[in-house]
Amino acid sequence: MTMFTYYLELAWRRCRQNVPIVLLVVLTMAIGIASCMTATTIFAALSGEPLPGISDHLYVVTMDSRTQGDANDAAYDTPQSLLNLRDAKALVDAHHADSQFAQAQSLAQVSTTDGKHSDRVIGLLGYGSLLSTLGVPFRYGRPWTEAEQTAHAPVVVIDATLAEKLFGTSDAVGRSVTMGTGTFRIIGVTAPWKPRMQFLGLTQNAGNLLGQDMQFYAPVGAALDHGVGPLNTGKCAKSAPVVNFQSTHVTHCRWIEVWVSLDAPARASAYRVFLTHYAQAQHQAGRFVQEPKPRLFGTQAWMDRLKAIPGDVGLNVVLAGGFLLLCMINVAGLLAARFLRRQGHVAIRRALGASRRHVFMQHLVEAGALGMAGGVLALPLTWLGLWVVRMQPVAYAAAAQFSPGVFAILALLSLLVGLAVGILPAWRVCRQPPALQIKLA
Amino acid sequence: MDILPILASLRRHKVTALLLILQIALTCAIVCNAVFLISQRLHRMQLPSGMAEHELVQIRLGSVGDGSDAKSQTQADVAALQRIPGVQQVAVVNQLPFTEGDASNGDLKLKPGQQTSTLTVAQYFGQNVVSTMGLHLLAGRNFQPEEYVDLDTALASLNNGSAQGFPQTVIITKGLAERLWPGEEALGKTFYLGGDIPFRVIGVVADLARPNQFYNGIENSILWPMRLTFAEGGSYLIRCAPGARRAVLKAGLAKLKELDPGRVVLEKRTYDDARSAFFAHDSAMSDMLLSVIIALLLVTGLGIVGLASFWVGQRRRQIGVRRALGATRGDILRYFQIENFLIVGFGIVLGMAMAYGLSLLLMQHYALPRLPFGYLPLGALALWLLGQCAVLAPALRAAAVPPVVATRTV
Repeated sequence: MTMFTYYLELAWRRCRQNVPIVLLVVLTMAIGIASCMTATTIFAALSGEPLPGISDHLYVVTMDSRTQGDANDAAYDTPQSLLNLRDAKALVDAHHADSQFAQAQSLAQVSTTDGKHSDRVIGLLGYGSLLSTLGVPFRYGRPWTEAEQTAHAPVVVIDATLAEKLFGTSDAVGRSVTMGTGTFRIIGVTAPWKPRMQFLGLTQNAGNLLGQDMQFYAPVGAALDHGVGPLNTGKCAKSAPVVNFQSTHVTHCRWIEVWVSLDAPARASAYRVFLTHYAQAQHQAGRFVQEPKPRLFGTQAWMDRLKAIPGDVGLNVVLAGGFLLLCMINVAGLLAARFLRRQGHVAIRRALGASRRHVFMQHLVEAGALGMAGGVLALPLTWLGLWVVRMQPVAYAAAAQFSPGVFAILALLSLLVGLAVGILPAWRVCRQPPALQIKLA
Repeated sequence: MDILPILASLRRHKVTALLLILQIALTCAIVCNAVFLISQRLHRMQLPSGMAEHELVQIRLGSVGDGSDAKSQTQADVAALQRIPGVQQVAVVNQLPFTEGDASNGDLKLKPGQQTSTLTVAQYFGQNVVSTMGLHLLAGRNFQPEEYVDLDTALASLNNGSAQGFPQTVIITKGLAERLWPGEEALGKTFYLGGDIPFRVIGVVADLARPNQFYNGIENSILWPMRLTFAEGGSYLIRCAPGARRAVLKAGLAKLKELDPGRVVLEKRTYDDARSAFFAHDSAMSDMLLSVIIALLLVTGLGIVGLASFWVGQRRRQIGVRRALGATRGDILRYFQIENFLIVGFGIVLGMAMAYGLSLLLMQHYALPRLPFGYLPLGALALWLLGQCAVLAPALRAAAVPPVVATRTV
């Protein structure tokens, strides 16, 4: 330990002798570390499971469910997840998975029944066990029951933010709201909830990378009855893909996705068999005019397939990594030159009894300390980098957030970078035979 | 000047020289690829839409009702918009080039009953589209009023299994015409869409880019004489003088609000804004790549300055001896310049191999084309220039070392 502080003191003294070069070394490392941290922060925010522990069991159903030759639809060259409500209901009602639901995004004007308070919010129209499968946390109340769903009972679950906005309290269970043409009874209030990344309804949310708060959840039957339609009617049979905002005339359209939760891979293959049976039966009955090609995609595979995370994010990490590597090589070169220049001092220390290991350690401590100094400087630079990214008009801008985790990784990274760049120069300097060096000095 | 003594002296600084070479190689590899990536993005951003881009304003409304009176409402909207001072033309159109979202696409066949489609085309339709967009008609004519059909009647007739209600004529782009009938006159030719509905080509326009899905061929677009309403997803496209766009947009929104306050404005923007929103990612990415390039060159340049300064400091005595033995200042200057030229040269050779490797990696993971060879000599030239600029100051300092240094011990 005393040696360690002694080495630090030595390093400090040496650094004061040549301030410009030390500044160059520290600054180069700081820029390299900061750019790498910026890129990886964004990358980390956008990778992994959108709903940890839940979405890895979720699968989306795709099939060519076009019912009549669609004049406007291109060939079925990519799997399509949007289904007709009839098929979605049939798949959910079959209860062949551990749990299953159908969902589509909706935008609705939700008001108190007296019309005094009102807000236009994004929510989900659902069928089946939407809320429990997604693990949406409830503050009060409960999700809708199967009986309510079948009876098209006008019930709704809203989130606490909306409840407070409308009623001034989050415990709004039992009150009613107006949506579309109907009055819906609130049966549950959830905590504010959104997935880490958008994965539901991806085909209709291109460019909307990060999940957004879902503020209401309504059973699809009751919602359509009362004029609350999906945000996007998707593709409709025998027609141009007419996007009729909030239309409830969706009988002939494919607009709703079916997601199933399957715990084990074996369950997934069993479900695929069921799915094929269902699709083929529809095809043979003449409903699906094309070969339906049913498939099941895991959440991650589906997001990869639709390129939910732009390739630019990965490209940035590659570039930033390359840049950090370059900075490290640069610093290693500067350190090597710097260390070798004081061969005379090293030789005297060797002659006075310092072993090679000691000399090596001394220089490594110096390099590590410089790395840490670079890390300290990288902290504001990373913050600046993330701020710059947040200002950019890119879909992942909001993912550029500084977090304590970033800080910890940055500290570790800068120490590692310092040590890594120090190893070669330190090894080089301790290899010199002392006698020769003394002569040189 | 002899190169061998320089090489011999470099061998005495193996570690530092190798690190510098490696650094230059890495810079070369990354800069070449980054410049190429930027050029790709810039090319994408400059793709022509075919429209009079700086004269267009888009307003898209969403209907909340059932849309039963949408036809008369749309007519009233268009008439009102046309009366706004400064407005030259107003169109209702289903989609615009370079915009995100659902686009209307169709499978085109050259013969009826053909099993697989020839290619996919983007389908544009609406009222008064060709002249409002300012499309350049190369051959044939624009649609006549009697050719127009209503979207809902066309769809209804399709649902009854007949193509009679559909338009019979179509205007296509020059690019599409050349792909379908290379070297032939496209006017009067017929192709088929969907359930073998025939369309006769009556006009050819210079350009009209697809909304998106460029991999299907950016120039493959067709236009139909088909009317649609705002409730069916139609946008109002207003043409006016570039300077009047903001005022027209504001007046147009106020007018539409006045006609029916219950509608939701889904889109209100100039076409220039729409276009830059579509390419925002590309522009952000090229800025980012540009800053990476600058940072790389800066770091490498400073690294060269730093190392060269060390070497000059280390060799003061040798320089003094050489000067005392008759070497001129120019000799010393050139020594360091040639040394740098050699190091950068080694770096470039290694860097080209690395640039190529990086390009292969990017091709694999990001569906990019291969780095053209032309970038390599350009990168080499840039690095040599950078190296010479960076080494100049330390080399001048070396040249200034007086011969008398040789007589000192340290």
